[in-house]
Amino acid sequence: MGGVCSRKRGNQVNEEGVRVGVNRRYCKNGSSKWLLGTPFFRTTSGCQPEGVSCPTLMELCIHKICQDIDKYISFSVLPRDISQQIFDELVRSHCLNDVSLEAFRECALEDICLGDYPGVNDSWIDAISSQGSSLLSVDLSGSDVTDSGLALLKSCSNLQALAFNYCDHISESGLRHLSGLANLSSLSFKRSDAVTADSMRAFSSLVNLHELDLERCSGIHGGFAHLKGLKKLKTLNIRYCKCITDSDMEALSEFTNLRELQVSCSSITDAGVAYLKGLQNLILLNLEGCQLSASCLDSISALVALSYLNLSRCGLSDHGFDKLSGLQNLKVLNLAFNNITDACLIHLKGLSNLETLNLDSCRIGDDGLANLAGLLLLKNLELSDTEVRSTGLRFLSGLLNLESINLSFTLVTDSGLKKLSGLSSLKSLNLDARQITDVGLAALTSLTGLSHLDLFGAQITDSGTQYLRCFKNLQSLEICGGGLTDAGVKNIKDLTSLTLLNLSQNCSLTDKTLELLSGLTALVSLNVSNSRITNGGLQHLKPLKNMRSLTLESCKVTATEIRKLQSTALPNLVSFRPE
Amino acid sequence: MTKEETVKLISSEGFEFVIDKKAAMVSQLLRNMLSSPGSFTETADGVVNFPDISTTILEKICQYFYWSLQFSSGKETEFHIEPELTLELMMAANYLDT
Repeated sequence: MGGVCSRKRGNQVNEEGVRVGVNRRYCKNGSSKWLLGTPFFRTTSGCQPEGVSCPTLMELCIHKICQDIDKYISFSVLPRDISQQIFDELVRSHCLNDVSLEAFRECALEDICLGDYPGVNDSWIDAISSQGSSLLSVDLSGSDVTDSGLALLKSCSNLQALAFNYCDHISESGLRHLSGLANLSSLSFKRSDAVTADSMRAFSSLVNLHELDLERCSGIHGGFAHLKGLKKLKTLNIRYCKCITDSDMEALSEFTNLRELQVSCSSITDAGVAYLKGLQNLILLNLEGCQLSASCLDSISALVALSYLNLSRCGLSDHGFDKLSGLQNLKVLNLAFNNITDACLIHLKGLSNLETLNLDSCRIGDDGLANLAGLLLLKNLELSDTEVRSTGLRFLSGLLNLESINLSFTLVTDSGLKKLSGLSSLKSLNLDARQITDVGLAALTSLTGLSHLDLFGAQITDSGTQYLRCFKNLQSLEICGGGLTDAGVKNIKDLTSLTLLNLSQNCSLTDKTLELLSGLTALVSLNVSNSRITNGGLQHLKPLKNMRSLTLESCKVTATEIRKLQSTALPNLVSFRPE
Repeated sequence: MTKEETVKLISSEGFEFVIDKKAAMVSQLLRNMLSSPGSFTETADGVVNFPDISTTILEKICQYFYWSLQFSSGKETEFHIEPELTLELMMAANYLDT
């Protein structure tokens, strides 16, 4: 059952997500992948024909090559952009190995993105480095590459971007091989023991470095002293580096070009933040999880260019928030999980450019919300686990740009929901609260633009599901309050945009439900755990070719039968339960 | 079939392929040539020379054009490509933007 009921996952702010809009990439082809970590959902289509659109001859040829890759000895006669397309498709389809890689020797490829690709080790690097001065970006994250592999990349003098995240076989002394790559503008060594205060000297000659990512490196305390010459550094990520202390912030105070600084979950205090006062170009500051107090807000108030500020889980109280009222450029403010009350919100009243405000689990009530009524640009408002009640929602009814509201685990009741009915921009609404019923849902039928609706714990019955018919654009829906039967699912079967559907905990649902859902061919994730579904019902899922995740815990369903379904009908199914 | 509705594609060896203009328009390059009057002499004559494309490859490309028309009208068959032609075919496809 585990995952079925845990609700608070994924509520943490995703810095990458928030940074959309800040223009980041300068390299040409698909190098952004390594910024996003390992994507759970890979894009599938590639050069496979999709729908009625006809594959180009180029796509057909590339597909053909991937099928018989071992027949090709060399692609070097091809123009570089064509061999790059073949290479990328081989990687995407997991058909590349150390042997087929040899065909790409001296093909003048620009991008070698093999992050998290299985089997990559030093034997691959010779062919990679044979791309020579053409090579612009290399991602070998998660590989077994060692120092000697790294040494081979020295000759690729035009390299602009390198990523060696989670490469456990690179040592401190390996980093010296990078010191000649003066064109590097982006360098990423997440969770690396190789990067230490001492070995960071190797970076001191990388004067064109714009972007440095040392997230989860545990030995870098003191290393920034060697990097004083990196005047172009704009983006620095040292999240989850417990070793980082206030003295490191003193070293960073020289990087006056910094635009983005992420120091969350480090050991810095108010004194450390004080060193950052001079970083007048800073647009993004992430201090999540650092133990701070009121005096840090005074320092932050000097950073007038800030448009993104994350202070969640910093142990802050209301004290000092008057200082933030001058940060007129703020668009995103995260104050979740702090000890703040309505008294703090008074100081946010004038932040008229705010688009996203996160107050998750703060001691906020209806009176505080009055201060938000004038924040007309607000798009995303997170009020989960606060003391907000129905009466407070009237302050939100004029925020016509609101696209997303989270009211889960608040004290809001049915009677308050009509205050939201005029928010026509709303796309995402979370009403995961036990006291919400069919009556509340009836008040929301005007929100026809909704694409995400979470009624996880709400008491929705079959009669309430009729209102769901108004939400034709719904992509995700969760109703897990226990009140649904197959009859209610009839009102869900025509919501053909749905990609995620969670109907778990509705114990009366039978195989009939799966039959009703068989037309929802866009579904990627389905959960009907804790129901009366049997192996016999699985056949109805065959048309759901896009399904990647299927959860049927505590049903009369066996893993063997799901596996059969997977092998015969659901090729995209990567995660299922029971397993 | 009138002359205006067809185009003549000539390979490097001088072999001529007369195909429907509609089929030729599958190629973005030929579409541009044939639908911008006055800009290319090819438009007036309905003749396009490919000094860098061999007869074998040009034939395969013409086959693709017709296959593509069929595919778009709902007849989804497989288009066979001989492995020994792929590399040359790709270079031509790249040039023809198809």
